[in-house]
This record gives sequence, C-alpha cells and structure tokens, in this order.
Amino acid sequence: MFSRLGTRRALLAGCLLFVAVTVAGCSGNYSVRPQFFWDSLFHPSPAIVNGLGLTLGISVVAQFLGVVLGVFAAMGKMAKFWPFRTVANIYIWIFRGTPLLVQLSFFYYGLAAAGLFKWPAIVIGPVDILPNIFAGIVILGVNEGAYMAEIVRAGILSVDPGQTEASKSLGMTYGQTMRRIVLPQAARVIVPPLGNEFNNMLKTTSLLTVISVFELYNTFSVAAGHSYATFELMAAAAVWYLLLTTIWGFVQSRIERRLARGTATGSSGPSGPQGPGWRSRFFGRSNVDAKASGIGGH
Amino acid sequence: MSAPDIAPGGLLGAIGGVPRPETDVVVDARDVNKWFGRLHVLKDVSIQVKRQEVVVIIGPSGSGKTTFIRCINHLEKIQSGRIFVNGHLIGYREAGGGKKLVEDKEKNIAAQRQEIGMVFQRFNLFPHMTALENIIEAPIQVRGTPREEAVVVGRALLERVGLAAKENVYPNQLSGGQQQRIAIARALAMKPALMLFDEPTSALDPEMIGEVLEVMKELAREGMTMVVVSHEMGFAREVANRVVMMDDGVVVEEGTPDQVFSAPAHNRTKVFLSKIL
Repeated sequence: MFSRLGTRRALLAGCLLFVAVTVAGCSGNYSVRPQFFWDSLFHPSPAIVNGLGLTLGISVVAQFLGVVLGVFAAMGKMAKFWPFRTVANIYIWIFRGTPLLVQLSFFYYGLAAAGLFKWPAIVIGPVDILPNIFAGIVILGVNEGAYMAEIVRAGILSVDPGQTEASKSLGMTYGQTMRRIVLPQAARVIVPPLGNEFNNMLKTTSLLTVISVFELYNTFSVAAGHSYATFELMAAAAVWYLLLTTIWGFVQSRIERRLARGTATGSSGPSGPQGPGWRSRFFGRSNVDAKASGIGGH
Repeated sequence: MSAPDIAPGGLLGAIGGVPRPETDVVVDARDVNKWFGRLHVLKDVSIQVKRQEVVVIIGPSGSGKTTFIRCINHLEKIQSGRIFVNGHLIGYREAGGGKKLVEDKEKNIAAQRQEIGMVFQRFNLFPHMTALENIIEAPIQVRGTPREEAVVVGRALLERVGLAAKENVYPNQLSGGQQQRIAIARALAMKPALMLFDEPTSALDPEMIGEVLEVMKELAREGMTMVVVSHEMGFAREVANRVVMMDDGVVVEEGTPDQVFSAPAHNRTKVFLSKIL
C-alpha cells in the first residue's frame, strides 16, 4: 500500500519536473538545455555517481554513529549518577542548540586554524577516507546523536516499568536489562522517528559542501558553475535526492512491518490484537489446552 | 475450572531441585521502615520465614504488603531496619559500625536477586520473546548456563506447568492464566531458594485463578519456601503455614490460618476478614 503510494508520488514529481524543464525555456535570456537534466539522470558522469555514493555512504555511517551516541546519551540522561546526566545534558544542549553549519565550520576549519586539531585521513583496508569526509561523518553523527537521544529516551520510557522489574528480579544487571529486554521493545517506538531522521540525514549531507566534500549537491553545484545550466542541474539533483528518500521510504515501511510481526503489543492476555494466522495455528495444534484455560470458549 | 496436570517428578524435579537454604530462617526482616516521601508505608515490620515455610500476607489495599514483599528483593529501598535472606543482608552494606545503611553495588544486588524468584501481579513476561525464550533468558544471560541445557530445563518446566505445547508462542497469544504459569516457570528456572508472589491471581479472570493456584500449591507441597501476598483465602487456608495480617504499614497479627481466620485476635483483622470472606 505504502510502496504504491510512494511510487505514484515519485512519478508525479518526475512529471512535474519534466514539464518544468521543457516548458520553462521561454522566459528571458535563459535558454533551457534539457540535455543536461536528462543526461545527469540517465547517463550520470562518474563524478555524479561518486557524489551519490558519498551521500549515501556518509548518511548511513553518520546515522549509525548517531544512533549509538543517542542510546548512550539517552541512558546518560536517565542515569542515577548525576555527572552522567550533566554530561549528556550538556552534549544535547550544545549540539541541538547550534546550527550544524556552524558546527562543521568550527570543528573542521576553526580547530585547525587555532592549531588545536587537524582531522586525519583514515585508511580502512582498501578504503581511503579524506580528512574532510571523516570530519563530516563524525560531526554529522555527533549532531544526529543529540537528536536521537530524545527519540531513544522516549522509546525507553515507553516500555512498561514492569519489564525492568521482572528482568531485575531475575538477577539481570542494568546493562543486560537494557540490551536484552528494554531496548528491543523500545525499538518499535524508535524506528518510525528514526526513519524520519535518516530521511533528513540523506538531505543534510548537502551541508558538507562547506567543508568541500564532493557529495551529491556539491558535485551538481560545481557542474552548474561550469556549464551555467543551474536550472537543469539543480532539478536533476532534486530528482536524485527524491529517489534516495523514496527508496528509503520503502525500506522503512518494510522494517516497521517486520518489527511489528511476532512481537507482542503487551502482556495483557488474549484480549490483545490477534491475527487469523496464529489463531488457527494456536487452536489447531492444542485445542485441549486452549479450552482448559478458558480462551477457547468464545 | 480445569487445572493443569502437573507431570510426575514435580516442578522442582524439572530444575533438578533447588539448593537447600543455608539457614533455617530464609527471610529475616527486622524493624523495616519505609517512607514514600512523607508517607510512612512500613512501620517497624518484622517478619520471619523459615525454611520450606509458606507465609501468606493478607491485608487491605494500601496496607504495605506489596511494598514489603518488594523490599525483600530490593525492588524498593528501605530507610531503616534490615532484611536478611539466607543470612545475607539484602540491598545494603552496613557502615559506620553497623549504624548506617549504604546501598550495595548494583552487581551485588543483582547477584542476590538470582536466589529470589518473583512472580508479579501483571505477569511481566517479556513480550518480544516466546514462552521458552522467556524461561531460558535469565539462566543463559545471568547464570551462564549453556543454551542446550537451559532449553532442556525450560521444556521440562513448561511441561510441569502444563504448557509444553506453548513453547514457541508469544505472551500476547496466551491467556492470563497461561502467562502467569509461564512467569512462575521463568522464576523457577533460576533455581531460587525463595519464591515471592505479589498478588499472583489478582489480574486474572476468575476461571483462570485455579490453574495458577494449583501450580503454587504443588510448589508448596514440594517444599519451596514461599512468601505470598494474596487475597485467596482458600489458598491461604489450605497451603499456608502462617498467615500475616498487615494494616496501615504494621503487622497486626500473625498465626496459623486457623487462628487468624477462625479466631482473629484483633478487631482490624475481623473487620478485614468480614469484608473479604
């Protein structure tokens, strides 16, 4: 259902852009060269492919970092030990309270200018990560972590306190309780807003232009500067971003469906939501017991 | 009301027996005081539970009985007094020459809780795990039991509580009575020396109470030391060695079920029993 809607929306957007690109040629001195638009979509240059890969790669790694930091910051915010709370609060306060653009410039150019820190290049096996890309990933991730903290915290708070008590009463430590009992249940609440965050992340990577990362937007921006085909190329860049976010939409709805499956919505007995699938399985296999326990009656 | 058959060999047989409590007095609560803010909910509560004894705590709601049982495994903090389980001070270290209580390290508290099984009013099964996974989770994670071994014990326990067929079923597909029986099996899988039951049948539909009480009776017959907060007077009469009546944070009286139910010494007990029986 979701995916069909998504496809229709993407097609509609494509059509609108097509109309815009082909019709808009009549105004002023600007002569539209549709070839730039179509080529960068259907015959993308290696630079565009590279930019696309960078946007996607940076987004995934930065989001992952953000989730990990978010989990720690959320637990820090809820810690009994006040220094943990203070550290978490200050972290969230600073990174949510200042623009990402300022954070990027400060931590990349600012620190280097003051001679405090120069971002190194990172080599992981065959992959060579330039200093600015490394910095971009880390800063995006740290920024994202501050937002994820609140999302993760809401997820943790949504889990019935009885779960923690049951887990503690079995002798599980705080870490075990979090990892095995609370976070898996919090995941169902966290994933929808997490999907939103990742959608944002895909687009926010364009800000890395300020530290000269040649991700998708920067690549198109430079190409536009060379060819003056700003209208066509920016329209094409928009289509690429739309494609990324649309595909992510499909993936997200699949993940959400998978999380909902098999997982109970509560421990409130047989009155909870029940699909016909398990019901037939349930009564088919063990009729006697179902009757004995009083739920086969209706 | 059809109760589950408890397979021969018993519940404790399924877990290879539980360690005998090291001391004759398993629970020794001395002058326990607790406040919720300014509300004094436990006032000098002293209760002893001997090995293989079944103690049922009764009393009106708000009397502190649930709070007290939760103090025994340190789900609630206490402000003064001492609670010993198997001779070990629960939840605290003594400091200042035995005058002050300092809360113990989280790791030590977790270790103490391994020996104390608890069954909750609302079952609190882990909804993202199947019945069997619920039971084997703590033995694997906490005790480090190999998975295959934990599964064998888990299946035996499921069979003994009459739910062998429900091994791969998630909690929300089970009735309240079935969930509570699995919750009992889950607590037993840790081979506890003591079992705490916090109103285990209060959230159940009437027709499911019997099947849970049946499992608890079996457990009592096999010699498990149990502290039960319950309104089930029939159960108390049949199984309890001792009944403790609490009201307003105080132990009003205690005695054998016969004494307390047939000839209550205190007016507050009489009033309470007249309302509930």
